[in-house]
Amino acid sequence: MIKRLNLALLFLLLVFSVQAQDKKIEFTEFDLDNGMHVILHQDNSTPIVVVSVMYHVGSKNENPERTGFAHFFEHLLFEGSKNIKRGEFDKYITNAGGVNNANTSNDRTYYYEILPSNQLKLGLWLESERLLHANIDQVGVETQREVVKEEKRQRVDNQPYGSILSEIAKRAYKVHPYRWTTIGSLEHLNAASLDEFMNFYETFYVPENATISIAGDIQIEEAKKLVNQYFADIPRGGNEIPRPTVVEPKQKEEVRDTIYDNIQLPAVIQAYHMPEQGSEDSYALEMLGTVLSGGQSARMYKSLVDEQQKALQVAAIPFSSEDPGLYLLFGLPTIGGDLKDLEEAMDAEITKLKNELISETEFQKVRNQVENDFISGNSTMTGIAESLANYHVYYGDANLINNEIDRYMAVTREDIQRVAKKYLTEDNRVVLYYLPKSQQNN
Amino acid sequence: MKILFKTYLSLLFALIATIAVAQVDRTKAPEPTEAPEINIAKPYTFTLKNGLKVYVVENHKLPRVAFSLSLDRDPILEGDKAGYVNFAGELLTKGTKNRTKAELDAEIDFIGANISAFSTGIYASSLTKHKEKLMELMTDILFNPAFPEDELEKLKKQTLSGLAASKDDPNAIASNVKGVVVYGKDHPYGEFTTEESVENITLEDTKKYYNTYFKPNIAYLAIVGDITPKEAKKLIKKNFSDWEKGTVPSAEYETPEPPQKTFVALVDRDASVQSVINVSYPVDLKVGSEDVIKARVLNQILGGGFSSRLMQNLREDKAFTYGARSSLSSDKLVGSFTASASVRNEVTDSAVYEFMSELEKIVNEGVTQQELDAAKASIAGSFARSLESPQTVASFAINTAIYGLPADYYTNYLKKLDAVTLEDVKAMAQKYILPENANIVIVGKGAEIAKGLKKFGEVRYFDRQGNEYDPKDNLKIPEGVTAQTVMADYFKALGGKDKLKAIKNMKLVYDASVQGQSLSINEIKKDGALKQEVGMSGMVLTKTVVNGDKVKIVMQGQEVPLPEEAKKDVIASAKIFPELYFDEMGITYELKSILDLDGETAYAVEVNMPSGTKATYYYSADSGLKLKTASVQKGPQGEVTVSEEYKAYEERNGIMIPTKKLLNQGFPINTTLKSVEFNVDLADDTFKIN
Repeated sequence: MIKRLNLALLFLLLVFSVQAQDKKIEFTEFDLDNGMHVILHQDNSTPIVVVSVMYHVGSKNENPERTGFAHFFEHLLFEGSKNIKRGEFDKYITNAGGVNNANTSNDRTYYYEILPSNQLKLGLWLESERLLHANIDQVGVETQREVVKEEKRQRVDNQPYGSILSEIAKRAYKVHPYRWTTIGSLEHLNAASLDEFMNFYETFYVPENATISIAGDIQIEEAKKLVNQYFADIPRGGNEIPRPTVVEPKQKEEVRDTIYDNIQLPAVIQAYHMPEQGSEDSYALEMLGTVLSGGQSARMYKSLVDEQQKALQVAAIPFSSEDPGLYLLFGLPTIGGDLKDLEEAMDAEITKLKNELISETEFQKVRNQVENDFISGNSTMTGIAESLANYHVYYGDANLINNEIDRYMAVTREDIQRVAKKYLTEDNRVVLYYLPKSQQNN
Repeated sequence: MKILFKTYLSLLFALIATIAVAQVDRTKAPEPTEAPEINIAKPYTFTLKNGLKVYVVENHKLPRVAFSLSLDRDPILEGDKAGYVNFAGELLTKGTKNRTKAELDAEIDFIGANISAFSTGIYASSLTKHKEKLMELMTDILFNPAFPEDELEKLKKQTLSGLAASKDDPNAIASNVKGVVVYGKDHPYGEFTTEESVENITLEDTKKYYNTYFKPNIAYLAIVGDITPKEAKKLIKKNFSDWEKGTVPSAEYETPEPPQKTFVALVDRDASVQSVINVSYPVDLKVGSEDVIKARVLNQILGGGFSSRLMQNLREDKAFTYGARSSLSSDKLVGSFTASASVRNEVTDSAVYEFMSELEKIVNEGVTQQELDAAKASIAGSFARSLESPQTVASFAINTAIYGLPADYYTNYLKKLDAVTLEDVKAMAQKYILPENANIVIVGKGAEIAKGLKKFGEVRYFDRQGNEYDPKDNLKIPEGVTAQTVMADYFKALGGKDKLKAIKNMKLVYDASVQGQSLSINEIKKDGALKQEVGMSGMVLTKTVVNGDKVKIVMQGQEVPLPEEAKKDVIASAKIFPELYFDEMGITYELKSILDLDGETAYAVEVNMPSGTKATYYYSADSGLKLKTASVQKGPQGEVTVSEEYKAYEERNGIMIPTKKLLNQGFPINTTLKSVEFNVDLADDTFKIN
């Protein structure tokens, strides 16, 4: 008893006031005449540079009859360009001692290279070629279809629990394009004509839909000049860029289903509708996620894994996105454990959050964890380049890289309780039980 | 006026832009500008009176700070307690004299920090403003570990289930046997943790390790991040000055040599559909020696990345494997070369041939200028990227001290890399690539691959512990031994056919553990009938009932449908001693081979189950007892080998019963016999199926 008292006292002493961080990430930003947005962050401590371009196109911009296009382009646009032969795109980067990659989400597509800083021009040339006149032909389309097929096999079909997102999405959304996932449909890709691919490229891969974010060992003025040289003469697309305006109607009652998959251990997944990223409630929900599963002392972990030993693993993951997204709770029962039993225990933790305000101490712990994660996100040039681009594309405010933390810190204990009550309700969720195929019967 | 000026300006700008744009030649890749100078910051360093050496790398970009303590000690030969050194490290964060594990977790999370401990150090990081608290927690772990008994038991349990899971993993087997073959069992790099060695570890061992080696005079503390040398010095003096120094033992080991002549070390794994190939031998390549950078270039070209020769040949060209690579490592004691890949059974010898050809080719012909340039660019790029982490800078300084490197070793790294010539690479190949003196360690199905391997050198057999055995001496089926005699010996070993047949029914209770969970298995067998219940804390998880030709399996309250074919197998195995009835049931079986089964010579009898599935039953050549059954089943995630091992036979009522069974159906289940009863009174409805 005395020990516990001491501990609580200690905690109280440790409660610092959170001050605004004085370590700011400096950056310069401007628009080219063709509408392309440019963000530059100079840090000369290491002779490397990250050149990245974010296109504001993701799976939600797709024609429902042509899903998978945005992700397909992430592959297709490595096929070369007017001046880069097929298969050479990657080679230029490796031979320069660099590495590169790309990824696609519901909302945007992102390409980046990490190069030695004396190869900045190479990065700009490659990215400008990709935007100006990428090579889109039958051979490339067919090659990449095969690659994407393999990727789907490896990451979705052959991956235990790989289908969770698609199974959840199609049940959680009735009208919004989030109802399909980025990998999309292979049938759609097979059915698409070359013209359709060309059309997609001309619509979305235009300077006014692109943000170039460069971070690393650069000189701002020199970099400005070079960006101009490589990108300023790329003409505007000029067409209107289609963005979905459809609003998903509120879910009225719980959706519950069972999926039989190639897995050994069953799993329970709850997905709650949550508000769009950037809204006050979404910050509160993210902090609630840390209450439940951030670290070994977090509620769900401590109670369900350590103490009750009902779960091998539990996690609360907010899938924030540009339009209202989903808040996932995931539970993996211990071998032989019952899913229903585990789900009830998970629900009990949620109910507790709704009924009781979290303590000052726990609240402070969560604030500290969130702050640590926020700051640590900016420890690499790759992280900074992507964050700057994200904040600009989603919020039109790259400076959120410095002050988004204030929005988290504005969340109160009452907010956490309120969003638990408002969003983590039965009517607002999809629940899936994942069971091994061997248990499938009549 | 103002407007006019603006227009003029934008016109001017447009003009400049046009000119600038016109200058860009898009048709070819731009040339790089002058290679940037790489400045590696010099850490601020000081030494405490107790010998602790401290390195401070200031980096104020983010308000974070990290403390990383590492011990420089000689490698330790752990012997029959292999694993205790790691245990000692892991136990550090499992509670201190001032805080229970739960309290530690809570306090670490409270400041959003990370702390981890291992046998040669501790790492701790947090935001700068929590550094005092972080230091308090880190030093509590470092100076006051409690070594709780129950945490040691937990750790043992976890390690044992990990070992059980990896026991049949060909990559784990390859890594263990490679260590023994390359370094020898009496070398710290040649030993590995086993079930037996884990059992031998005591709390005393871990405490003794901690008390001996956690000393400031062999410790290096790197402090990286948002802290000034002055602050760091104050903090470290305050927290580490009382740490008492001590004498730390040193150790010397004989230097392992490559084999006189290349040979194949084959680990026969009957269930393999893929062979794990490792071409490996020790090399005399010390950290920081003149050759290290040149050797890295050589390896980059041979097997260092996607564009390397091995990858291009074995994956892209021949499609033998998903990946082939090599490594050439420097080390304080002794370095090593390894080239490795996993390939399909039928191309095993072809793959070894390609490996050996590539080794010979690079020795005889060297490399091309194009390869050399690409390798240098790739290494320089990754060197530069590694510098982004201030940890790298600290580790450079510490390595320089530990290995006695020249002060400018890392600052000159890229210069030296750039100076590497084609001749240098060839000289390195001739010195370190030894196709004539290699151990070719292969884990695979001997019956299918051994013959093709003879052309690479003598084929020697090793068991999974790395002990060599002669398959010819021990493992020839002796004259007169047939499947029938093996069965007859088995019945005799169990207690004799008469005694076995006299058993009308048998009731067995096993305790089981699955990844730390306790289960109980209750089994009642009567000829032609079986009831098995698997339960956890009073709850029945699965229930299997066989009665005549009826089978019912209920899993968590739901009946699991069973294909007719599989049903037949369940019925066949429901007999008390199924082998007694094989002939009667029309089950055929055949003696396939004699082999080494985890150190015990065994006969492998292939049994054709009623469903058509082939199972292999293993019987000890020595005792006659059944050691294991195994069959390959088509599971949801491809083929899995389902096996049952029988151990620690004990006599009960004149009959030998295995008191330990290890079941494996993708995950291991250890069971221990709790009780066995024979010929008990059974209720009429014991085997009732509704």
